[in-house]
Formats: sequence, C-alpha cells, structure tokens
Amino acid sequence: MGGDNVRFLVRLTRIGLLFCALLSAATASATVHLRIIAWDGEDNIVPVREAVQAFEKVHPDIQVTLQAVVNHYQEKLLAEVAAGTAPDVVHMDPPSFQKFARRGAILPLNQFFAETPGFDLKAYYKNLVNASSMNGLLYILPRDIAPIVPVFYNKRIFDEAGIPYPDGKWTWDFVERPELREHDFLWVMHQLTKRDASGKVIRWGFAPAWKTAMVDTCYLELGARIADNYENPTKVLFDDPRIVRAYQFVADLSMKQQWMPSDVEISSVEQTSAHKLFTEGRIAMLQSGIWDSTALRKEIVMGEPGFFDWDIAMAPAYKDGTRAYPTGGSGYSIMSQTKHPHEAWLLTQWMAGKPGMLPSAEQGMAQPAIRSLSQSPPWIPTARTPDELARPRNRIIMDRGADYVVFGPTNMDWPEVNDLVDQQLQSIFDGTSTAQAALSKGTALAQRRLDMLRKDESLGPFNWRIGAVAGLAILAALMGWIYGPEFRARRSRREKQESRTAYLFVLPCLLGLILFTFGPMILSFLMSFAKWDIIRPAQWRGLGNYQEALTSDPTFWVALRVTLVYTAAAVPIGLVTALALAMLLNTKVRGMPLWRTCYYLPAVVSGVAAAIVWKAVFRADGGVLNSIIYGPHGDHNFLGLASLLKPLATVNGQVNWLGDPRTALSSLVIMSLWGVGGGMVIMLAGLQGVPDYYYEAAILDGANGWQRFRSVTLPLISPTLFFSLITGFIGSFQVFTQAFVMTDGGPDNATMFYMLHLFKQAFLSLHMGYASALAWILFFIILCFTAAQLKGNKWVYYEGAR
Amino acid sequence: MGLLRGRAVTPRQAILVSRLGRAATLAILVIGITWCLIPLYVMATMAFKTPAEVATSSIWAFPRQPTLANFKEVLGSPNVVFALLFKNTVFIAVVNTVGVVLTSSLAAYAFGRMRFAGRDRLFIVLLSTMMLPGIVTMIPSYVVFAKIGWVDTFLPLTVPAFFGGGAFNIFLLRQFFGSIPRELDEAAVLDGAGHWTIFRHVILPLSGPALATVGVFTFVGSWRDFMGPLLYLNDSAKQTLEVGLSTYNALRAEKFHLMMAASLMVMLPLILLFLVGQRYFVKGIVMTGLK
Repeated sequence: MGGDNVRFLVRLTRIGLLFCALLSAATASATVHLRIIAWDGEDNIVPVREAVQAFEKVHPDIQVTLQAVVNHYQEKLLAEVAAGTAPDVVHMDPPSFQKFARRGAILPLNQFFAETPGFDLKAYYKNLVNASSMNGLLYILPRDIAPIVPVFYNKRIFDEAGIPYPDGKWTWDFVERPELREHDFLWVMHQLTKRDASGKVIRWGFAPAWKTAMVDTCYLELGARIADNYENPTKVLFDDPRIVRAYQFVADLSMKQQWMPSDVEISSVEQTSAHKLFTEGRIAMLQSGIWDSTALRKEIVMGEPGFFDWDIAMAPAYKDGTRAYPTGGSGYSIMSQTKHPHEAWLLTQWMAGKPGMLPSAEQGMAQPAIRSLSQSPPWIPTARTPDELARPRNRIIMDRGADYVVFGPTNMDWPEVNDLVDQQLQSIFDGTSTAQAALSKGTALAQRRLDMLRKDESLGPFNWRIGAVAGLAILAALMGWIYGPEFRARRSRREKQESRTAYLFVLPCLLGLILFTFGPMILSFLMSFAKWDIIRPAQWRGLGNYQEALTSDPTFWVALRVTLVYTAAAVPIGLVTALALAMLLNTKVRGMPLWRTCYYLPAVVSGVAAAIVWKAVFRADGGVLNSIIYGPHGDHNFLGLASLLKPLATVNGQVNWLGDPRTALSSLVIMSLWGVGGGMVIMLAGLQGVPDYYYEAAILDGANGWQRFRSVTLPLISPTLFFSLITGFIGSFQVFTQAFVMTDGGPDNATMFYMLHLFKQAFLSLHMGYASALAWILFFIILCFTAAQLKGNKWVYYEGAR
Repeated sequence: MGLLRGRAVTPRQAILVSRLGRAATLAILVIGITWCLIPLYVMATMAFKTPAEVATSSIWAFPRQPTLANFKEVLGSPNVVFALLFKNTVFIAVVNTVGVVLTSSLAAYAFGRMRFAGRDRLFIVLLSTMMLPGIVTMIPSYVVFAKIGWVDTFLPLTVPAFFGGGAFNIFLLRQFFGSIPRELDEAAVLDGAGHWTIFRHVILPLSGPALATVGVFTFVGSWRDFMGPLLYLNDSAKQTLEVGLSTYNALRAEKFHLMMAASLMVMLPLILLFLVGQRYFVKGIVMTGLK
C-alpha cells in the first residue's frame, strides 16, 4: 500500500519535473533579452524608460534592460565591445558613430527597412539623416535633433526698452545698422545693454550659451566650413578669412563694445553660466538649445521675486538672408555583436520612432527627429497644454530652424584634430591674442595631425603566438631577476624555514599579482607595440608607437614638462604641509577627532561638486582668491600680493587664474593642497607610533623643541615620510582628475598633464596601442625616479629592521 | 621654547609662551579648516536651496529659506532606489575593507619583519604595479573578468581585495610594522611564539592607527569608486551610490541643487563613519605604557 503510494508520488514528481523543464525550455527559447544603453541623465531618462516599458507590453516575448550611463559612456561601451559583451542597442550621435561604423562595430540599418512595412526614412529630418550616414548607409536611426536656433528673450526687458518682441525677421551684420531698428540684431543688442553711472555694464544685451555657438552661427551663415569634407576631411579650414572674422567679431562684441559678457564675466563655471545670467535678468537674450527651457521653467517661477515672462525667437540670419545653425542630435544604433538583430531593430525603430519620441516631446526637452511630430502637439504647445509646460510658446521655430542646421564633421579622427584648435580659442575670447594669430597657429597644428592620421600604414596582424612567448619571456626574466641572487646565497635551515613561513604570509598577495595584475600589465605592454583601436584586432607596429611619441608628437613633450613641473611643486609642498598639520594636531589639541575629520573631508567630496566650487574660487571676476587679494572693490593690496602679481593681472587689473597659461598650473598646485588631508592622516598615524617615553627621555636630557623634532620625531617617522614621498611621486606623475574636470588641458596646453594626453589618445581617438606606449614610457620614468629614491634611502630608520 | 634658549625662564614666562604657542596653533588650524570646509559649505548650502535660488543667488550665499525638497526629490526619483544602492555600496565597501586589511597586513608583516628569498626585489616589483596608469589596463582587465563570466556580479569589485589589497596599502603597513622595536618579538620568541603568534598578538595590537588608516582609505576608496561599478555592473538593482547618483551629473542638466543634495547624501555616511571610528586612530594602550 505504502509502496504504491510512494511509487505514484515518484512518478508524479517525475512528470511534474519534466513538465517544468519543458515549460522553462519553451519560455527560455521564446523570450529574447535585449540590452540598451543611453547617456540620458535624470529627467531625460524617465521618458526613455516609459518607452521601453511600453515596448515590452507590445512585445511580451522580448525583455529589455535599459541602462543609463551618464558619464564615461564611451569607455564603458568600448570595454564591452572589446570583451564581446556589447549591448544590443546603443545611444549614438553623429560626431561619434564613425568610430564604430568604420570598424564594423555597428550595423548599417538599411538592410532592415524592407522588412518593416510602413517605415519611411523620409519622415525624419533630412540633415540629421545625412549626418547619421556614412558612404550612403544609415548607421543611426535618429531620435532627436537639437538645433541651436532659439534666442531666449526676456520680455520684461524688451517692454522696458520699448522694443517690439523679436519675430525672427532680424538680421545681423558686422556693423550696427540703427536705421533698421529692431530688425538689426546688433542694434537690439546695443539698446538692451545697460550701464551704470560709472559706465560699468550692469546688463548685457545678449550672450550665447557658449561662445562658439555664436561663432559657428556666424561663419556658417557666411558660407564657411571648418573642413573641406565633413565625412572625410583632408584640409583643416579654421584659418578661412570668414571664420577668422567671425571669431574676432564675437570676441570684440564682448571685449570692445561690451554688449555681450566676456568669458571672464560669464565665469568659467560650466557652460551654464550664461543661462544663469539670463535667469538673473542680467542678460536680455540668450542663444542656446531648447533643453534650457526645462530648467528655466523651474527657475523663473510666477509669483516669486525676479519673475519675468520669456519666449524664444529664431536667431538672426546674415544680412543677405542666409540662415545656418549649429546643431546636436542623437539616435540609436545596433551593435554588430547582437545575437538578435531583428528584435534589436524592432526596439530601435520603437525607441527612435513615434512611441519613443512622444514621451520626451511631452516634456518639451527633446525635439522629435520625425518632422511631423515636431510640428504638432505635444511638442508644440496648445491651449490644452498645462501651464508649466506651455513655455516657450513659439516652439514652432525649432522645426523651421531645422531646415538650416549644419552638423559638424562626422569623421572619426576629427575630435582629436579639432581639440588642437580648441586649445587656442581661449586666448581669442579673453583678448590676449587676435583671432588671426590663434587660428593660424591652431590650424597649422591641426593640419599636421590630420595629415599624420590620414597616412595609411600597411601593418601586418599582431602575432599572438609570438606575443604569448614574449609575455612568458618577460615573466621568466622577472623571476630570474628576483631569484637569481638566491642561487648563490647559502641559507641555514632556520632561514629556509623562515622563508617558507614568509611565503605563506605573502601568498595572497603573490596570487593576486599573478591572477589579476600581471596579465593586464603584460597585455598592455604587448599592445604598446601594436596599433590597436580596441574594436578591431591589433596590428603589429613594432617600435612605431615609441618612435611617434619621442619624435613626432608635439604634445608628448609638452605634457611631460607640465607633469614634471607639477610634481616638483606639488609633492614637496604637500609633504611639508601634511607633516606640519599632523604635528600641530598631535600637540594634544582639544577636540582632535573633529579637527582630523574636517581636514580629511575634502577627500570624500565628489569630484564634480568640488570642480564647481574650485572654479568659483579661481574666477577672475569676483572669485574668492581675487577677493582676498584685491578686496571687494579691487583696491586692496593683501600682503602686497596685488603689486607682486601686477605683471600677471590681465583682466580688469586682476589675475585670471585658470584662464591664463602662466597661472593655470600654479592654480592646480594650490588646489592640490586641498587633498592634503589624506597625507595628514598617514603622518598622524606615524606620529602616534612614536612612543611617548622617547620624548620624555629627550626632555630629561634638556633637548629643546627643534632638537626633539630633529632627533626624535624625524628619525622615528622617517619610514612614514619615505612612504609619503614615494607614493606622492607615483601619484603626482599620474595626476589626472583636476585637469580633466577643471581645464581640459588648457589654456594653450598649460595644464596638459601626461595622463590627460594619454586618456585623450586612448578614448577620444581610440589609439589604445599608442596610449599603451605612453603609459609604459611613464612607467619607466616613474620607475627610475623611485629607484633613485630607494637607492638614497639611507636616511630612513627602521627600528625593527633586519 | 627655542626662542628663550640661553636665558633663565621664569614659570610665568613659560606659561605665557605656551599660551601664545597654543593660540598660534589654534589660529593656523582654524585657517586650514576654513580652507578645507569651503567646498562642504557650498555643497550644503546649495543642497538646501530651491532651483530658482541656485540660479539667481551667489554660490556663497546662505539659503534664504532652507528646503528639504531636493533631498525628497532625489530619494523619490524613479531612477534611483536609494536604499538599494546604499545596501550594495555598504556591502562592497565592507567586504573590500575586510579583505584589504586582512591580506595587506599579512604581506606587510612578511615584507617588514621577516627575511625570505627575493624579498627586496619582489617588493620593488610590487611597487611597480602602482606605476602603470590604470587607463591602459582597464580594458584588458575587463576582458579577463568578462571571459570568466564575472561581469554583472560583485565578484570583480570584491574578490581582488582578498589578494594582497594593493601595493599602496602593503607599503604603508610595511613602513609601520618595520618601525616597531624588535625587542618585542624577541621576547615573544623566547616564550616559544612563532611568526603567526607575533603577528597576531604583538604587531597587530600595536598598529591600530596604521590599520585604521588603511581601513578608512579602502572604505572611502571603494565607496567612491566610479569606474569599477560602472564597468562591471549592468543590472540597476546591483548599482552603487556613486554611479547611481551620477545621473545628476549630466552636463547640460544644470541641476546643481539635486547634484549637491545627492553628493551630500553619498558623503554623509562616510563622515559619520570617520567620526565614529576615531578611537582606532589613537595609539594603543600598549604603546603608551611601554617600557
């Protein structure tokens, strides 16, 4: 009886298990998993997520993971491509897609058009489609377009000046034309500029969100282009007379006429500060992208002090009626590594189609790339649009303006080339150089780099078998170097015993080196002899990378010098400050834990937040540093510093700390003092390790303060000092973040740290092989420095040494 | 007191000098603290301002009407499940700290207080691992972890901590262990103690401040790590605070009020931990009462 029951149960369980297995197999084969990544931040990602959820509802057999990667998007994507774990669908834009398309990492989308009834590429903005294509094939299905068409204007200021609101029919010329009144852009700009009794500007007529937005508009409308061919450039044309004139024109408007705030007045706090001036009512008009409107809605609130009504108008055409606007835009691409190209296309078409665009359009932030959607609600406000979304009302100009947009070069080498010109621009806008001089210099540098990048090298494939042998040989040589002397050494049994025990102690560390550290190090060493763009297989380049660095890369030597100067200044200053602070705190000050915490605080502050603060400290106009030196009214002379700094005072008689090539690096050294808390904590720990009875003994012997410091403290904390010195050097040679978030290497390469150059080579231009060579050159430089310090370490005293 | 050398010092003068010295010390410390607290002040005030006030007031201005709205908005955001991110971050940071303190102190003991074959050259090799910029090993490391299927797990972010804890920490501890007087372990050896016992019962108890330093650096480092979690974690349920909250760092978003509120929330646990953990920074009783 019981046996039957058991048998029955067993059979039942078997059937049940089989059923479950079948079921899970069936669902597993039916459900397709897709991963999509986008760089949208906070607000923008919400509608994207909504669209993904709607897609999953319509396609229950497809499961989609959405990932928002706001910072370091490209590095993440490249690492995944290299490992073969790339997402299926990725956010992409015209300036970056060629990097992937030319190397076969993303699929041309034309192959999918036929399988999709009702799909019509003509529905999308034509300019955007062209900029998303290469050799006639589409690689990005566009999602949004962001023309720099709108001029946001403050209605209250227009009312006060008695000037009619702009209707977009205005034009501009290099000179003011008062007879045209409100139809001359410069006249309006001039009229709306307000000065106080002393002639100081208290309100400017106009500002672009960033200077080059206006410059780009000007030279594009003059018919000039920055390269001869945007898909495949051979000539850098920044020295075109029309472009030079446009740069000088915009620089003069702020530096001479002062109808626009200068870069110093806009301050260097992000690109957003023209926006801030607009919100404060300190500029009457702002040229920017439509994305500014969501922030403006929250900042200019009805009923609060400082409220004013605002709207947008089309930026002016040139006097002959020509219109052209710079623009942004983005969409989605399908990675070649995807296992489900058809499902990926369904998702792409959804996300870069009506269902994906509508939720974003509703926010009024991302303009749909499909023209008909951009001409109707919810993008265009209607009477039913809720009040908080209604502004700006004149959003139809976004569609009108899209006909005139000109996308920048899409070529994959362009970002690196363009960067060389960008380095020179600051000097035009702060008036320390003419546009002609700066652009000629920049163009020459950029042209030389472009020629070099265009040179086709015929390289063979990287021979991995030889590479593996070389890797093993390196390891063997290393082992030989470490253990060579041991063969000659005679050891007693006890010593051998101790050696064996010691190896147990260092076992985890050794395993870690072998498992996690040596592999990637050797791989990067091999890659330093290769041409490797991360996406495609490496090619053998021999000593080419090293030769390029030492002979034909002008930035290499600049970067090396900048880094050495920085190290020579920052390491000793940091060391002395950390030690001094630690000694002060070690004098039994009351509330020591609180002091120590406060000093360590800067080490835990987030990088971006810190950057904003630091820019405010170093501002030329009203920055903290200048306020201390020159006083609030600019007439003080703190400790005589103002007279001392006289030769450096270029902006209104004050120093432009981060903007002047002569002071930018020193500013970063001053800034590094702020990280001194970490070093101080280490020093304090060292001081705590000095037994009190040494001091007691010294006092009994009649030693004074200096003698105690010299003969007790210093020798006993010398191991800590030695540690701080060595790691300080190693860290300082690899300093990166400050320049990355604060100056981007500028002005004029003054803060182009070695690591920043390396980073740009690796991820801006995808010269990972070359970057590896740079890294290994740095490795050997640091190694030599460290070896020299280890050799000269006779001053270090280890009480427990053997 | 070097000032008064060669002269007889009356007790009153001595008190005066020591008071002056204390005042000077305090003054210097206060200036330094101001310098260090500037960014925190700006972050804190911005985090309590409305967007309209952030947009129109100086960044040095104190909020007119402090508001908690920014914190509420960050906590209520559909993009960020704060509690989950917090849990993940704590887990990774704690595991890392345990692993690093444990294994780096082991290695540091051997390098600092034992003699073994190839010790000094091995140490140079160890140091050299700090000298190669991480940018060029980042992608090879990722590829390796992807090949063994560790991507989208906590393993690449935690397991390596148990394998030595990095040259920086080993070096730091080696320097401290090396300066502990040798007589102490000789006494222990006479009592028949082996290296393990000396390490465990003599060296570790004497190294509180150094171990605390390594622990804090590791904890803060993995708490604030951005590239690691960004690269290795895909599932949003596994994400850490630093990466999860970077959504407010979108360049065009101009949401300084939210960014600062978010940064402050990321920082706060670290500050509290540092304050609470203070007592481990003070020298052990053994050290003070020695001799």
